[in-house]
Amino acid sequence: CSEDFLEADLKGTDLESAFYKNETQARQGLVAIYDVVGWQGNGYVTREGMANAASDDQRAGGGGPSDINDLQVVTKWTLTPEIGPHNELWRKGYAGIFRANKLLEKLTEVPMSEVNKARFAAEAKFLRGYFYFDLLRMFKNIPLVTKPLTTSEMRDVPQADPASVWKQIEDDIKAALAEPNLPDRISSTDDKGRVTKGTAHAMLGKVYLYQKKWQEAAAEFALVNGTTPGQPNPTYGYQLLPNFADLFKSKPEFKYNSESVFEIGYSSQSNGGWGCVSCTEGNVLNILVGPRGYNPKPGAPDYVSGWSFLVFTKDFYDFIHFDPRFKYTVADVDSLERNGFATYEKGHDNTGFFLEKFAGRQSNRPGTGTMELNFPQNKYDIRLADTYLMEAEALVMAGQSGAVGSRAYALLNAVRARVGLGPIVATIDNIFDERRLEFAGEGIRFFDLIRTGRAAAALGGRGFDPNRHYVFPIPFHELQSTKMEQNKEWGGNK
Amino acid sequence: CLQISAKGFSQQITLKERNAPLKKVLKEIARQAGISIVYDESLLARTSRVNIDIKDMPVKQAMNMLLLNQPVSFSIEGQKIVIQPMAADIRPVAADTVITVSGRVTTETGEALPGATVRVNGTNTGTSTDGDGRYSLKVPGKNSTLVFSILGYTSKTLAFSGSSLNVQLSLSETALTETVVVGYGTQKKAVVTGAISSVRAKDLEGMPINRIEQALQGRTAGVTIASNSGQPGSAATVRVRGITSFNNNDPLWVVDGVVVDNGGIGYLNQNDIESIQVLKDAASQAIYGARAASGVILVTTKKGKAGKLTISYNGYYGTSQPARKLDMLNATEYATLRNEQAVNGGSAPVFADPASYGKGTDWQSTIFNNSAKRMNHELSVSGGGEKSTFYTSFGYLDQEGIVATEISRYKRFNFRINSTYKITPWLTFGENIGYAYDRSVGLGNTNSEFGGPLSSAINLDPITPVIETDPAKLSAVPYAGNEAKLRRDAQGRAYGVSTIVAQEMTNPLAFISTRLGNYGWSHNAVGNVYLEAEPIKGLRVRSTLGSKVAFWGSENFTPLFFLNSSNNPANNSFQRTNNSTFAWNFENTLSYSKDINAHSFTVLLGQGAYMDNRSRNTSVTFQNVPAVTFKEASMNYKVTAPNRVSDGGEGVEHTIASLFARVNYAYDEKYLLEAIIRRDGSSRFGPNKKYGVFPSFSLGWVPSRESFWPQNNVVDMLKFRGGYGEVGNDNIGDGAYLPTIGSGRNYTLTNSDLAYPGSSPNAPANPDLKWETTVQSNIGFEALLFKDFTVEFDWFKKLSKDILMYPDIPWYMGAAGNPADNVGSMENKGVELALTYRKNIGDFEFNLGGNVSYIKNKVTFIGDGVKFITVGQASFQTMNAITRTEVGQPFNAFYMFKQMGVFQNQAEIDSYVGKSGQKIQPNAKPGDFRWFDKNGDGVISDDDRDYIGNPTPNWTYGMTLNAAYKGFDIVVFAQGAAGNQIFQGLRRLDIMNANWQRKSLGRWTGEGSTNSYPRLSIKDDNKNFTNPSEFYLEDGDYWRLKVLQIGYTLPASLVNKAGFERVRVHVMSENLITFTKYTGYDPEIGGGVLSIDRGIYPQARTFMVGLNFTY
Repeated sequence: CSEDFLEADLKGTDLESAFYKNETQARQGLVAIYDVVGWQGNGYVTREGMANAASDDQRAGGGGPSDINDLQVVTKWTLTPEIGPHNELWRKGYAGIFRANKLLEKLTEVPMSEVNKARFAAEAKFLRGYFYFDLLRMFKNIPLVTKPLTTSEMRDVPQADPASVWKQIEDDIKAALAEPNLPDRISSTDDKGRVTKGTAHAMLGKVYLYQKKWQEAAAEFALVNGTTPGQPNPTYGYQLLPNFADLFKSKPEFKYNSESVFEIGYSSQSNGGWGCVSCTEGNVLNILVGPRGYNPKPGAPDYVSGWSFLVFTKDFYDFIHFDPRFKYTVADVDSLERNGFATYEKGHDNTGFFLEKFAGRQSNRPGTGTMELNFPQNKYDIRLADTYLMEAEALVMAGQSGAVGSRAYALLNAVRARVGLGPIVATIDNIFDERRLEFAGEGIRFFDLIRTGRAAAALGGRGFDPNRHYVFPIPFHELQSTKMEQNKEWGGNK
Repeated sequence: CLQISAKGFSQQITLKERNAPLKKVLKEIARQAGISIVYDESLLARTSRVNIDIKDMPVKQAMNMLLLNQPVSFSIEGQKIVIQPMAADIRPVAADTVITVSGRVTTETGEALPGATVRVNGTNTGTSTDGDGRYSLKVPGKNSTLVFSILGYTSKTLAFSGSSLNVQLSLSETALTETVVVGYGTQKKAVVTGAISSVRAKDLEGMPINRIEQALQGRTAGVTIASNSGQPGSAATVRVRGITSFNNNDPLWVVDGVVVDNGGIGYLNQNDIESIQVLKDAASQAIYGARAASGVILVTTKKGKAGKLTISYNGYYGTSQPARKLDMLNATEYATLRNEQAVNGGSAPVFADPASYGKGTDWQSTIFNNSAKRMNHELSVSGGGEKSTFYTSFGYLDQEGIVATEISRYKRFNFRINSTYKITPWLTFGENIGYAYDRSVGLGNTNSEFGGPLSSAINLDPITPVIETDPAKLSAVPYAGNEAKLRRDAQGRAYGVSTIVAQEMTNPLAFISTRLGNYGWSHNAVGNVYLEAEPIKGLRVRSTLGSKVAFWGSENFTPLFFLNSSNNPANNSFQRTNNSTFAWNFENTLSYSKDINAHSFTVLLGQGAYMDNRSRNTSVTFQNVPAVTFKEASMNYKVTAPNRVSDGGEGVEHTIASLFARVNYAYDEKYLLEAIIRRDGSSRFGPNKKYGVFPSFSLGWVPSRESFWPQNNVVDMLKFRGGYGEVGNDNIGDGAYLPTIGSGRNYTLTNSDLAYPGSSPNAPANPDLKWETTVQSNIGFEALLFKDFTVEFDWFKKLSKDILMYPDIPWYMGAAGNPADNVGSMENKGVELALTYRKNIGDFEFNLGGNVSYIKNKVTFIGDGVKFITVGQASFQTMNAITRTEVGQPFNAFYMFKQMGVFQNQAEIDSYVGKSGQKIQPNAKPGDFRWFDKNGDGVISDDDRDYIGNPTPNWTYGMTLNAAYKGFDIVVFAQGAAGNQIFQGLRRLDIMNANWQRKSLGRWTGEGSTNSYPRLSIKDDNKNFTNPSEFYLEDGDYWRLKVLQIGYTLPASLVNKAGFERVRVHVMSENLITFTKYTGYDPEIGGGVLSIDRGIYPQARTFMVGLNFTY
């Protein structure tokens, strides 16, 4: 036999040596980095889902006490280095970093438009910083990898000093901002989800905020929020949506709206199926949070029957009940049933209060494919209301009074005014209460509790141990045959 | 038989022996004379020891003297002396008989059979044939039949008409004359040195076997078979000597020399099978080299025989029913327990008056069919002449499932033609071609907790009615608003929709109504053509081209329906899938056999090239088709483009190029040696490690042929054999050695709801990826005892090393997967014992066979610093993984919590404390499980799980009894397995209000009530039910009376007149009784990890009547 006979012909699969040869392929490499932003593991773990289950506003719910166990263990704080959502989120971060490192390594050699090449590189760097930010705030002691690792060196990687990771994140985002070919805003509907200078400033502000660099944070947010809170930002095009409810609609005209700074995109068109849940481009949060066994009478809300995860607690229900955002935030199926409009099945931890912002609807269920896995609703990573309130927080923490006439006051009350609430003083507590109401169910509250040290008070009743749970454990998987050491909160040396 | 060649009868013999075995003396005469003496061991076993002292005596005279007082005689045929039974009981025929019959007795190939006995049936009247096989006998009357017999051949009883009757006798298969198929040839079983289990056509005759795996079950020591489902047409999981690899453990199937993948073996019709050989040790597998590690199963189909045309028919017809129903709670009991569960969980009772629900619905009875039809017909015609032979057959199988028969049925049509043509006396051309078309209708989920009629029947509440007729209910949710989508029975009444138990659990009758008409189909053709030349005696050159072509697909229409709020599609859809695959192999072999005196050699050289997985698939779905039933659905309705969804793909071709050689040497059938070497190159490995070399050798010694072997009445034959060899496995993803880019890493960056294509590197490549190697040693013996009793014993030790796997790399590498590598090792040790006992006492024939095997599996390496691996692990619902692989444990052993009884009161909870005195389960309540704190850290965590069982049986056994008396016969076949645990996962954990089995009535209800079944609670904070624990494990031992058959063969004198050779009718039952303690439907549960019961489709119990005839 000739040697050819034994050569594998991998139909439809490119060899790496033959890839990254033109702009189309470089663009595919870039999309693969963005893909990680919308990461959904096979176990339905997302950063937002985890943060909701771990917050004081919601509980894991589901069908039983072990249903999507990764969510249950952060509600009850029984996670271990081996079991918990941190595993998937660690993988997510490094998957994104690898893809960014790979593209940055290959990009210099790709024959393509120099303008696009520079823009791609800026986006890759931004995204690398973005993934490191998530990893650092969750795990603290992490390996800092800035080029693709070979298998021969993979077991000798040390954990980096957190300060050097913060510096890398800032450097990456600043490098993106310094790139003239990274646009301020995107007018074409085709590329709406891509990173702009506005996105980078917001992200950098957030990075400063987490480091308590209040002045620098406020300065970056100010660029995003514009000179007059509530008015359009002429540079980056941002403006609060007039109608709060429109933020959570999944029709194309509501996606990448003027309030969206960095958005997590999903599609109903990928034909995702049960064979590979993580492969779908649909948003799985929609089916997760739908009421279980929901049987509406004609005229009742058209939720699809879901899996009853991430139910709101009674405490939160009481907290938000008289806020104008209540009905856009909480699906009060308990009330629907009591009033005879629907029946539903009471799942684990049932309260009857479901996550209205993301509950799947008959009206947005996909036309094709497996209904559960193909909802098209996007999520926000950063929206303008968030940068308003973060700037307000930075200003107040930096010493601004927050009284009438202050910028912090204007920022806070712009957010309130949008939903018809009257102005209040921008005290730090008021800002945090506003954040809790505004972003409920969007995966923000938990990180606020952690970064401000408020978690112990808010979550103590659930088993949150302040000596341990302010940081996630390094996944058990990573400790085997590597130089990784466990965080000291989890019994290690780091 | 033994043959020694040649000096001549003129030789003068000189001998002096005292009290010597006759055999020893015969051999000495043969040696001195240089002639052959042909005898059968069992014949000599009856002789007594001899004293002889002769000098320079001619051969014939010496023989006369030697056999003087022995119960055997001899005849001289050419250069051979044939030892034969004494003709003493053959008496001259009385003079008053009226007819003289004469003829010739020959072998099937036409060679004369001298010394054959011809006897008038039922009398002692007879004669024997002369040196040319001729006989002449006076027979008392026209109604007599004649019996033709000679040792080593199968007797024939024939009626005669006229005065001439020529007879062909075929070699009988005794322990001494049996041949077995080995790779690229056959060997006499007497000289085989490897461990090979065989199943032969006669073992399968009339058996209700639908798939070939069933033919092996219980009939082959060391082979574990577990049916994947009782769904008609379902495959079974086959493990040869246990679990060999972490990957695919399916054996290599070779049908008439064509490699057929495991999934594609269902096309074979059992009636076409001449023999099946399972090559179990490396010494016999090595000739198949790189793909043999998980065992090789050689299937040979029937060939035509020269001579008379034979027409044979086999068929049966019967009905099937479930052997066992689960005992579920009725509606009142269910409501009572639901209330208790709610109250224990701090909620209000759910049902005000449980007793008002009565018995409620028995969902199982709605789907079980107690008279599912089953039939099989097979007709074959074979025959041939000097120039050519043929065998052709047609088969038809139709089996209805016992569960939801409307959507569970399997039909198969078979066709086969095997033929040979002698182009010249030394050149033969032939082909073996089998084709099957099957059409199957399936439940979809057959062993799944996620729906399907069985799972629904187990989990649905008994309160919901099968059909809802209450107008009040029909005008409320969930019926109201869904009128158009509700499923209805033939009278238009709505099927009940449960509002209590939802998710995937739906009214099974409604579910069935959504799948009516859907089916899957396949066409399979497997065949080869060959040319074989024997230009000089002993030298054979053979060239074989084989291929397998398969086409399969499905047609599914899903109407609009409302089964419950979660099963409620927005559109109807009509899906069509089409798949095809093609494989070929081309092999050329050259073999040379030569006997020189007592030395016999065979050398085989071969070359092969193989290609498989040239596969293609497409799938098209049309939505919103203007149809409401399967029958109306058509793709000729051109729905708009967005309503057409399609997908497709191609397989990566897998190629192998090989060279192989084998040497066999035997001295006097006493000292045996075989050595094999094979070199394979595979497309799955890179240039660094493309080729693998697989050597093996085996030795045999037959002490019973030694001259020192004492003449005795106990051990008639004894053979020791042992071997050592290496075989391979290339079962890993194609191109794993190449750095590749993965597509589909798409992302939505646009308003238009469409994802952009994204690509990034896959797992890091491993250019040094190579074969997985299995090294196996085998030692065994075979013996014939007391003439009627055979024993075969094997001990083996099998070590798989460099196991191909995808070992975990650190996640911070960010790779999309793990690189393939050769990492693990695993050991299997075991013993196998097979016994048979045959006895004929007058007209009573009796044959009892049994086999038992034991295997111990242990993982010995999984990587440096790696505590456990998860490859192939089983998981169950929200428990996630329930098995795990760790060094020192069996592969994928159950890894779960142990409980130490149920807390009876608060005091027991308070006193269950850790080392520092803190309560181990502070939140437990009386009635909760007391979990075992394995690591003693005072906290119950996942680290407290332990290895508490093995899903793979370590014992398998089978037994066959055949007995016949006059025309009646009985076959009893039983098989079983033991030593495993079954995970019984029948209840959905995330549906807290699912129904329970009746054993839940024994739950904890107060102090002292029980120590084994915890309290019910909707909260279940102690995870009594959601922890993976030994609570879910049961022993999987079983012993099943698989087949009981009683037959009657019509008298030959009667049927022969009508032209039939043989007519037999029988009644039989399959799966009549199963002895097991397991409480689920069926203890036989196949799958990747065996013994995970998610509601397995049970094996049916069938009663059948059958007919076989040969014309």
